[in-house]
Amino acid sequence: MRWLIGILGLTLGIVAGAALLLFNPLTVRGPLAPIDANLVPDKSYRMDDYRGMSPDLVSLLRGSARSGEAALAAPALANLRMAIIVLPAGDGRPAALAVKVSTLAEQNSLWRARLGTLDYWNLFWPGEGSVFANGHSNYWPLVQDRFLAMRPGGKVEAETAYALSAPPPAGTLTGVSGAAGRYAGYIGEIRESLLPAAAGEPGWQLSLKASPPPLRSR
Amino acid sequence: MSRLFVGTFVAGLLLAGLAASFWPLPGHTRYRSLTTVLPDGGRQEDFIIRWPDDRVGRNGENGAGLPADAATGAAVLEDSAGQRVSAETFRVRDTDDNVIGVASRMAGTGGAIADTNRSVSNWLVVIPSRGAIFLSQPDAFDTTARQRDTVNGVIALSTMQNRALWNNTTERRITAATPRYAGRILRGTSEFAGLSGSFSETWKLDGINADGSTHGRIILSTLSERTE
Repeated sequence: MRWLIGILGLTLGIVAGAALLLFNPLTVRGPLAPIDANLVPDKSYRMDDYRGMSPDLVSLLRGSARSGEAALAAPALANLRMAIIVLPAGDGRPAALAVKVSTLAEQNSLWRARLGTLDYWNLFWPGEGSVFANGHSNYWPLVQDRFLAMRPGGKVEAETAYALSAPPPAGTLTGVSGAAGRYAGYIGEIRESLLPAAAGEPGWQLSLKASPPPLRSR
Repeated sequence: MSRLFVGTFVAGLLLAGLAASFWPLPGHTRYRSLTTVLPDGGRQEDFIIRWPDDRVGRNGENGAGLPADAATGAAVLEDSAGQRVSAETFRVRDTDDNVIGVASRMAGTGGAIADTNRSVSNWLVVIPSRGAIFLSQPDAFDTTARQRDTVNGVIALSTMQNRALWNNTTERRITAATPRYAGRILRGTSEFAGLSGSFSETWKLDGINADGSTHGRIILSTLSERTE
């Protein structure tokens, strides 16, 4: 009887500790506010052709299991993912070709509710121009959902979309920088969401807002 | 009994806290950055890419049976007006030949981007342990990859791997030569934050294989200084 009570106390203590860690209002910071949908259409896209680290929580917590891909087998490339992505046309915008590279953020900290990646984009619209963008994705809401799913009747991936873009770690600036064509010199913001949809449907969503730089008087 | 329960409950809380504190979150393998400080100020760092070895192929891609100038890890998007964008993905090495990161080369033509027969290219160089650097340049000629329909699907053809480009020469400067249009470092992140400056892209041919395919190096030479 004594050891049963001991195990029960220990288990409940661990669960309570994990819950405190996961939902501590002093450390958990919400995602960045979304960009007004009237200004910027969200582009849904698929990233099933990525190479490298899997976009799952195990990879974020333990590092990527080597996939055996010769091209990314070097030690320095163990915890990154890259993909060539086509952003579909629509909402008055032509299709764009893009490259996305995500690297595991070394500033991740379980005490600070930070478990994410640093994401780098280069997007090119044929005949129009190109931009670079970088952001920080925090997968903490997914960890919270996985934890809640352990309750009786809990559901994995209960949300229809996870807003991943979060305030970056200290010393990291995020945003959009216009590179070429009519977007040269533009500056702006980036937001990304994860859509835990059924197989075959777009799994990610991207919003970009970029404007010409402010005029400066001489 | 209740003291035992409370004691083990507190022990459980502590265990959760200790696990969160000492869980070995993964990091990145880091190599010493090989930069040169120039006598007249600024720092130079060169990034090397070997083609075709450093191309990062897409899922299911196999170079076997493809034309000599076919490129893996590349994609092309072209609109009905013939305005084209191509993307190529690579591993990146330092001057000691260590693989330190990845890079993408995106090039575009037409419209507001570049004059006829020329392209503008962007380099996204990501070194996981150090951050990323964003580069943009007008090219000396059209460097976009092309696509061709084959019985096995659409393939991308790389300009640098085309033997015809290398008539009587083994080195081509890709960055347009006019100083005003030199390649620019647009921005950096993490350790590259606050850097500005210029860069040049050079393709060097190391040899032509018996089947007509080529191998060589892309050299991205950055010259930067900290402005923030």
